Amino acid sequence: MRRLSGIFGGRRNLLFGGLLLILLFIFLLDLLVVDRIFGPFVYFYLFFALLIIFYGIYPLYMNRRLTRYYWDRTRRHRLAVIGLGFIIFLVAVAILGPLLTQDPTKVDFPNKNLPPTGFSAEQSIYDRNTGQFITTETPGTWLHPLGTDDKGRDMLAMLVSGARISLQVGLMATLIAIFIGLIMGVVSAYLGGWVDNALMRFTDIMMTFPFFLLLVFIIFIFGPSLWFIILVIGLTGWTGTARLVRSEALSLRTRDFIMAAKSLGASDRRIVFRHLIPNVLSSVIVIATLSIPGVILAEAALSFIGLGDPTVTSWGLVLHAGQRSLDTAWWIAVEPGIMLFLTVLAFNFLGDGIRDAFDPRSQL
Amino acid sequence: MKGKLNNTILQVSELKTYFFTRLGVVKAVDGVSFGLKKGECLCLVGESGCGKTATALSVLRLIDSPPGRIVGGEIRYHGEDLLQSSGARLRQIRGNRIAMIFQDPQSSLNPVFTVGDQIMEPIRLHLKLGKQQARERALNLMEQVGIPQAKERMRYYPHQFSGGMKQRAMIAAALSCDPEILIADEPTTALDTTIKAQILDIFRNLKQERNMSIIFITHDLGTVAGIADRIIVMYGGRIAEAGSVLDIFDQPKHPYTWGLLNCLPSISERREKMTPIPGVIPSLIDSPEGCIFYPRCQWHMPVCQQKRPEEYVISGEHIAACHLYK
Repeated sequence: MRRLSGIFGGRRNLLFGGLLLILLFIFLLDLLVVDRIFGPFVYFYLFFALLIIFYGIYPLYMNRRLTRYYWDRTRRHRLAVIGLGFIIFLVAVAILGPLLTQDPTKVDFPNKNLPPTGFSAEQSIYDRNTGQFITTETPGTWLHPLGTDDKGRDMLAMLVSGARISLQVGLMATLIAIFIGLIMGVVSAYLGGWVDNALMRFTDIMMTFPFFLLLVFIIFIFGPSLWFIILVIGLTGWTGTARLVRSEALSLRTRDFIMAAKSLGASDRRIVFRHLIPNVLSSVIVIATLSIPGVILAEAALSFIGLGDPTVTSWGLVLHAGQRSLDTAWWIAVEPGIMLFLTVLAFNFLGDGIRDAFDPRSQL
Repeated sequence: MKGKLNNTILQVSELKTYFFTRLGVVKAVDGVSFGLKKGECLCLVGESGCGKTATALSVLRLIDSPPGRIVGGEIRYHGEDLLQSSGARLRQIRGNRIAMIFQDPQSSLNPVFTVGDQIMEPIRLHLKLGKQQARERALNLMEQVGIPQAKERMRYYPHQFSGGMKQRAMIAAALSCDPEILIADEPTTALDTTIKAQILDIFRNLKQERNMSIIFITHDLGTVAGIADRIIVMYGGRIAEAGSVLDIFDQPKHPYTWGLLNCLPSISERREKMTPIPGVIPSLIDSPEGCIFYPRCQWHMPVCQQKRPEEYVISGEHIAACHLYK
């Protein structure tokens, strides 16, 4: 037990690890025995919630003075606060929305191409009696506040579903990438020598490797699945983080406090976990926030060109469907476009705000 | 056993620490021997780059490798050769039996943890105390080294401390396990004069009250005078002269020591200007055959260029490595 707590250090980490194991156990039980009562994403959300509570909210709550300081610095960035507000709204929509909206996959042909409420659009309808197309003005209805697409699916429901997909992809792929990048960077910098050389040359190779090709290849073999997309983006996207973490850790390694910790009898493991990683974490959080929009856009782009998972309603997929009828039903393409635009912007603003708050050199 | 009889707790013999750089081998420490007695303050004095810090780091085996390596010698702590010890054994000794304080207090505390946490770290590491006990011990230590409102300041982060306070905190961390030997690497260099005097007082108390052995490294002979029992003057990775405080200040024998003393400002005599030692510190790469001080020495003889001087005994513990005393 002492050995274990030595590795993970502290009661909080042990509790977190314990809860994680329980979660994993329930997940496996669900997967193998009771046959998927919840989807795997539910477990991811729980994992992510635990992560945020244990390593985000709890330390912020325990150290209210520092929380206030960071909040004051972030708050001076008005756009970052707006971005944060939008992201919180988006997360709420992604979690609660699907319970309130209609089924995003329900096809309803009589009500196809309905414009959003308050708008009206011309539609050519085939008149069975005359055998001719007649053009009519169709007004939007309150039943479909954001209109419907060319198969009569509710746009609002599809956008809400898309929000969930985008956040899942963005958070999960970034988490994987950041985790690998952090470990690679710190290990490379701390061990140095040939280990550093080997890991960094591997990073260079990964950087030049066309991830798109890998993705097409995997989709060709295993078929398109959201999980593979997340995995591939995560497993190829860590290179930038690894380089940045390495450079930060290299400069930290020569700082006196690392030598001081050694002179007081700390082990290598303790130095890496207690002195190196916590000191690079602020820049890692900034990179994570700033790399989420890129990942979201990558997934949307893949869906748009038809390489996405066709079974989930993502924004890219709706965008793809909408581009064919851009002249008759503009809202189908414009609405997911606006959502993507706002989401990417929100994460970028928040990332900038956090960077300024965490960077002691920036004078606000 | 032999070490205990004459009260010597640390015996360094023929220590050689080389740095293997692209330009060549830097012989930072080249055959240094000294002993440290219980309750004694030993000062290592010399210019920058003379091997003081490398000697101190070698004692705790903290030389960064690569490029550095201890290539020869012995470091016996209570008879145990630290150069042969395992990593785990060394970690038991570091901070627990032999602790070290560094030059720059601004960067020797980890900015992301509270000062209290960092003073508690070695306590929890070595003494296996619970959190509450460790906290109390840390609190005590902070009061002993003169940090006011210690209880509140335990929760402060390093950036909220002034330089002097940080150095006090570092001393508290180093003292936390009641080590037998304290190595202080220029602990007052980065501090202003008033703070410097206060920190020196702490060291003096440690020596008197706890009977702690201190290896004090400095480039400033003025600082040394008030605290040292014995002084080792180093030059170019070797010992130039060693002896008691009185030996060094009253009867300095080595020309380099004369030079150092001439650089000191004096209150009693009125000196128009201080006399610097001519020339620059030699590169320690491919150092010459003979005496390493020879190019800067005003009293050099033909033999100095050819033969490296041995350490000649002047009287008792007073030794000088100079051909003048053959």
